[in-house]
Amino acid sequence: MTVAVSGFQHDALFYRDEAEFVTRVGGFVRAGLAGDETVSVALPRPRLDLLRDALEGEAAAVTWLDMAEIGANPARIIAVWTATLRASLAAGRHLRGVGEPAYVGRRPAELVECALHERLLDRAFGDGPAWRLVCPYDEEHLPPEVCAGARRTHAGQGTDDEHRGAFAAPLPPPSGAVLRGDFRAGDVPAVRRTVRHWAASLGLVPDRVESLELAAAELATNSVVHGGGAGSVAMWTDDDAAVLEFTDSGTVDEPLAGRLLPAPEDDGGRGLYLVNALCDLVQLRSSPAGTTVRVLTWL
Amino acid sequence: MRAAGLLTDPEGTARADHVCWVYEDDEEFLDVARRYLEEGLARGERLLYVGESGPADLATEAGPLADVDGLMARGALQVLDLRAGYQGSGAFTPAEQLAFYEAATAEARAAGHSGLCVVAEISGLAADPGRRPDLVRWEHLADEFMGSGSGMRALCAYRGDLGREALTDVASVHPLVHDRAGGPPFRSWFEGEAIALAGALDSFGADRLEQVLTGTHIDRPTVTLDLSQVEFVGVGGCRAIARWARLLQDRGSRLELTGTSRVFGTMWRILDFDACGEVSFREPPS
Repeated sequence: MTVAVSGFQHDALFYRDEAEFVTRVGGFVRAGLAGDETVSVALPRPRLDLLRDALEGEAAAVTWLDMAEIGANPARIIAVWTATLRASLAAGRHLRGVGEPAYVGRRPAELVECALHERLLDRAFGDGPAWRLVCPYDEEHLPPEVCAGARRTHAGQGTDDEHRGAFAAPLPPPSGAVLRGDFRAGDVPAVRRTVRHWAASLGLVPDRVESLELAAAELATNSVVHGGGAGSVAMWTDDDAAVLEFTDSGTVDEPLAGRLLPAPEDDGGRGLYLVNALCDLVQLRSSPAGTTVRVLTWL
Repeated sequence: MRAAGLLTDPEGTARADHVCWVYEDDEEFLDVARRYLEEGLARGERLLYVGESGPADLATEAGPLADVDGLMARGALQVLDLRAGYQGSGAFTPAEQLAFYEAATAEARAAGHSGLCVVAEISGLAADPGRRPDLVRWEHLADEFMGSGSGMRALCAYRGDLGREALTDVASVHPLVHDRAGGPPFRSWFEGEAIALAGALDSFGADRLEQVLTGTHIDRPTVTLDLSQVEFVGVGGCRAIARWARLLQDRGSRLELTGTSRVFGTMWRILDFDACGEVSFREPPS
């Protein structure tokens, strides 16, 4: 399906096997190269290598990005496309992109975030310069509900209410034992130290412990500064992740919060962006009822 | 390495070259001041007492401070009355302070003393919000002077009832701090040609950190900031450093960071702080 949305054309491409993938995605890429467009392709391996090999000599003109790296946390992808678009416009060329965020092998929570990412792409780029993005979906191997969701998120730009509705969708409750605590302004150092000890007790390597401590400090600070002056922190583990969650009574007004690096002169917004960049998966949900930020670290 | 950290015991104070002591009552102040001055006498330093009250209370029944008048008469103890010195005229600038103490230290040495041992009870200056920024800049400037091997060392005493804001402001620019309330979130001092930081550089202390850093007057092509003793750096602290880097760049200097963690380097790169001010990492983030 192809839907033009005020300059930004954002389409899903459903394929059933590698041959169909190579033929259709390869055709989209070749058309861009023929039109002297900037072509950037973000795919998981081994499909990235498959397409690159199929394009042979033309592959050198394409920018290749490993989606498992740049989009491990789907909330990072919009920043990548933003930078790519900016560079393309600076070079005086149109941009044509391929992005497969929802690939086979993703965990269920990641696929949920991929769906939110797809919905917010239209919010990020819908009113901006024209460019095209095709998102391949492996219809044969992905869960049917993922493909059904992709049909919805690629069926038009979506309304502000739809964006906010997706941003407000509740997260599943924790499973198993949960450590909980409430905090206020003066407690932020204690919160980050508690998170540091908890992360270390799980056997995480020092860099990941430090990253989680940093994430905890920034999220707790956000609760204190923007979330009504106080918040709650919860920590638990499930089958494959250490989960850290902050909740407060504030509302994040912009669903794109944390997905774009603020301008140098802006005072705020860096903490959430950093958390998205540092952590394995971040699930931000907000509504007038409050805000939840869930940070997952794969074990 | 200079003595740096959070003190609980006056024993650790006597030999320090720059310490901030937050005291609860006169008895506590006199105890720590006497220890400091007695150590100064033992080292052959000239003593300088700066405060609002006279030095008579410092006298002890026996020991080196038993004859305060005698010490003053032979020039081993000098007194600077805070009320006469600063508060009457209203004059208090870091540059004037530095000139005064440089001269006082040189005079002490010229008179045969090994250096200048200062006990300063300057709560009155810290209590004045209008003068406190200059006091903080002076404390920072004085720390550089004392850390440079000038021969001057100082115990800076502040009343515990000054309030957290004032106490945190002044304590943040001392390598050694005693404060029953726990001390400031971060401390800054000079270590050789570097500025060292310790504690937590988080968003809540970012404005104070930026004030301390930007108030530093260093005129060198490369300015080194040592973060090896820092417990935590958050986005706010990182941004304060980046903004200082830009200020230094505008002045023709370059900021060099040392002792940073790998996660710090990652944060710096992710948040594109190089676009704010250029820095170099002496040891690449490991």
